[in-house]
Amino acid sequence: MPIVSVQGVSKRFGAVTVLDGVDFAFRAGEVTGLVGENGAGKSTLIKILAGAETPTAGSVVLGGEQLPSTTGDVIAAGLSVIYQELTDVPDMTLLDNVLLGNLSSRGGLTRRGENRRRAKAGLSRVGLGELDLRTPIRDLTISQRQLAEIARCLVRDTRVLILDEPTSSLPERDVETLLSVVRTLRDEGIAILYVTHHLDELFDVADRVVVLRDGNLVGDQPIGQWDEPSLVRSMLAKELEQAYPWRPRDVGEPALVTRGLVARGVKDTSIHADRGEVVGLVGLAGSGRTELMKAVGGVAHVVSGEVSVAGRRVRTGSIAAARSAGVVYVPEDRKAEGLVLDASVRSNIAMGDYAPVSRRGLLRSGVMTRRAQEITSKYDVKLGSVHQEIGKLSGGNQQKVIVGRVSEMSPRVVLFDDPTRGVDIGAKSGIYEHVFTLAEKGSAVMVCSSDTDEVLAVADRVYVLAAGRVVGEFARGSFDREKILHLAAGGSAVSEPPA
Amino acid sequence: MSRTSHPQPTPQPQERPVSTATQSSPWRHQVERALSSNIAPIVAALIIVSVALSFMSDVFLTSSNLTNIVTQSAVVGIAAVGATFVIITSGIDLSVGATMALAGFLGAQLAHHSDSGWLGLLAVMGVAVLVGAFNGFSVAWLGLAPFIVTLAVMGMARGLTLQFSQGESVYDLPSTLNWLGSADLAGLKVSAIVTVLLFLVGHLLLSRTTFGHRVYAVGGNADAARLAGINVKGVIFSTYVIAAVCAGVAAIVLVGRLDSATPNAATGTELQVIAAVVIGGTSLFGGKGSMIGTLVGVLLIGVINNGLTLLNVSSFWVQFVQGALIFLAVLLDSFNTGRLKRAATS
Ligand SMILES: Nc1ncnc2c1ncn2[C@@H]1O[C@H](COP(=O)(O)OP(=O)(O)OP(=O)(O)O)[C@@H](O)[C@H]1O
Ligand SMILES: [Mg+2]
Repeated sequence: MPIVSVQGVSKRFGAVTVLDGVDFAFRAGEVTGLVGENGAGKSTLIKILAGAETPTAGSVVLGGEQLPSTTGDVIAAGLSVIYQELTDVPDMTLLDNVLLGNLSSRGGLTRRGENRRRAKAGLSRVGLGELDLRTPIRDLTISQRQLAEIARCLVRDTRVLILDEPTSSLPERDVETLLSVVRTLRDEGIAILYVTHHLDELFDVADRVVVLRDGNLVGDQPIGQWDEPSLVRSMLAKELEQAYPWRPRDVGEPALVTRGLVARGVKDTSIHADRGEVVGLVGLAGSGRTELMKAVGGVAHVVSGEVSVAGRRVRTGSIAAARSAGVVYVPEDRKAEGLVLDASVRSNIAMGDYAPVSRRGLLRSGVMTRRAQEITSKYDVKLGSVHQEIGKLSGGNQQKVIVGRVSEMSPRVVLFDDPTRGVDIGAKSGIYEHVFTLAEKGSAVMVCSSDTDEVLAVADRVYVLAAGRVVGEFARGSFDREKILHLAAGGSAVSEPPA
Repeated sequence: MSRTSHPQPTPQPQERPVSTATQSSPWRHQVERALSSNIAPIVAALIIVSVALSFMSDVFLTSSNLTNIVTQSAVVGIAAVGATFVIITSGIDLSVGATMALAGFLGAQLAHHSDSGWLGLLAVMGVAVLVGAFNGFSVAWLGLAPFIVTLAVMGMARGLTLQFSQGESVYDLPSTLNWLGSADLAGLKVSAIVTVLLFLVGHLLLSRTTFGHRVYAVGGNADAARLAGINVKGVIFSTYVIAAVCAGVAAIVLVGRLDSATPNAATGTELQVIAAVVIGGTSLFGGKGSMIGTLVGVLLIGVINNGLTLLNVSSFWVQFVQGALIFLAVLLDSFNTGRLKRAATS
């Protein structure tokens, strides 16, 4: 008996059909993987399951009954969703967050002992039983905060847990922790729906995998009957020969050089990136990858040291100075730092780079539209129209807009901070295709990612960072995965937060 | 007071920069956007209120009364043009009323003593720009909360006005200073013409220039705007200066209309201005709004004020209705924005 069954569910937004008669079910004590390209409709399906969207047609049955129609009632009925972004209250304590909206009380007074016991019980199921309940949640690591959110669901007696891309903003080494919690919960009899773009995770935890393509259900089989190629073929409806189409390139003179750079999280760092080169930054979370990029891009304050581009010193700590020297930083958190979510795609593409779409301060609306159309089709963004709000595009498509916007500026130096976060496997290779083209046209590209293998697959050379310092440098010919990971881990052990 | 001195030239942005061919598609898109946005209910409200009033009062639809509405709305309207910029960046300017009083009073006093209207005009604009620069500097570079900064400035400006005036008004002003607020041109009030022109300029600035685009970007997501290379502090600073420039022009209109400057002038005007902007669909959360919406908001408030006067409703009720309108507008705004925020968490 499945605990959740989705029956002929369709969803249309205006003229766009996002889900088209989707039928599937998932069972208690099983992990069901849900995969599909960016924009396939995964998040929309989840919103329907969460009661946040109503289907245009079809219905959902939860535990033998019709799914309630509001998010609150759905939670009460035992179905909880963990979204990609944290939804905790940073200033409140761990205890208050785990029991958010769910404190036991008697006569208006909270029952302290009872509450602490319930919170502890929930937290120990996700392996956080040892943490002090009074810790402000902002002091925990991202992965601990995510686990605390899962604990919050468990405290509410969740029978069905849905995770929408839970690992996309998680540091690599915390993925295994999450997966083991997922396995534990499955063994306790919870039904789990697990959405991800990392197919290897599915082969690790899933019992079944369901594939959505363009809003249609195109595959539903036990994990044993899938392998990576067949899964990719089912998702993309085509073969993917090579995930990362790396090819040799001519590397020119140095484009970016830093000397003794010191900034928050960056200690005495001297690196360089040359014209036409793709340089990877490898390091664990907290190793200073993002901080280094921000310091070079003029986004973060630089205490000492220098940055030069094409032989000229660039004033640090100024985005404008970095920009005019041709250095562009592309942030990792696209929603918070990359986009204006409720502005149109067209507006977001024009934002900050008005030279191609204006004349003497006057915007040329027609040019803006045409340029947005060109870029979105060149970078294969799936959308209705460029006048659409960008917040309504799927996550991966938002990312493609950002990559397109930056690449079209033909910068001297581009700093891509985790450019494929939340991007599907087909689009990932598309994005790197554009990154390589950018390098071929003479830009120096710096990339980091939460996925080390991805960086090793695309870079010509990597720096290994640990605790804010460069602890190693390898050229593509001498990449040694084990050694690189060892270096990265060794240097950061000192700064590891207490777990 | 003679009215024979020559009128100053009005600004003449009369060249048509865009041909109709290239204009049609963005235009249509703008109209679509306006209709689908939260302006539509306000336009409907304006129509309904106007139709109702035309039945309830014989005078309402007369051309002199309609002209009257526009003239009466000039001060709030001009200030609202500037406030729209500030509010789109998710800022707020509570100091416009007090700024108008201070700038208007100092300018009038200078004009009165020097008998030079031009000097007076210059002083009004100079004082206003100084206040705006102070607001903008405090918000953009000192990072202070706009609500608090402009509340403080409101107190300071009003206090200075009372101190300089010792509570006395200035009368007997040179005609150059009064021209904007009192003269007629081709059968229309100059103040009404200037209001319309300022709305047009504001609209073009907001919707057709890179500056306007930056203003929306800063309000929509300041972090993203900064990383996209936009000088966020500069944009915020400029919006407060624009608001103050508009407050200066509004002060000139007010002084000219009354042929005097009183220290208590424009008390509470900031609330009407904010009400007009918010009713017009500009979000207090920033990033959204339009000059067309503000224009409709100003007209709605003007029509309601006018109607209540025509129907002999007590002015206390007028205040109540304005308050209630602000409440409704904020409610609508928060409803729309909340829905968007939820939709964005995918
Ligand atoms: N409110 C909306 N209005 C219009 N279109 C929408 C809306 N919400 C989603 N869409 C569209 O529905 C499609 C599916 O989006 P959804 O977020 O479900 O994709 P997804 O499979 O989760 O993709 P990703 O892997 O990138 O997160 C997209 O093309 C998106 O543009
Ligand atoms: Mg999604």
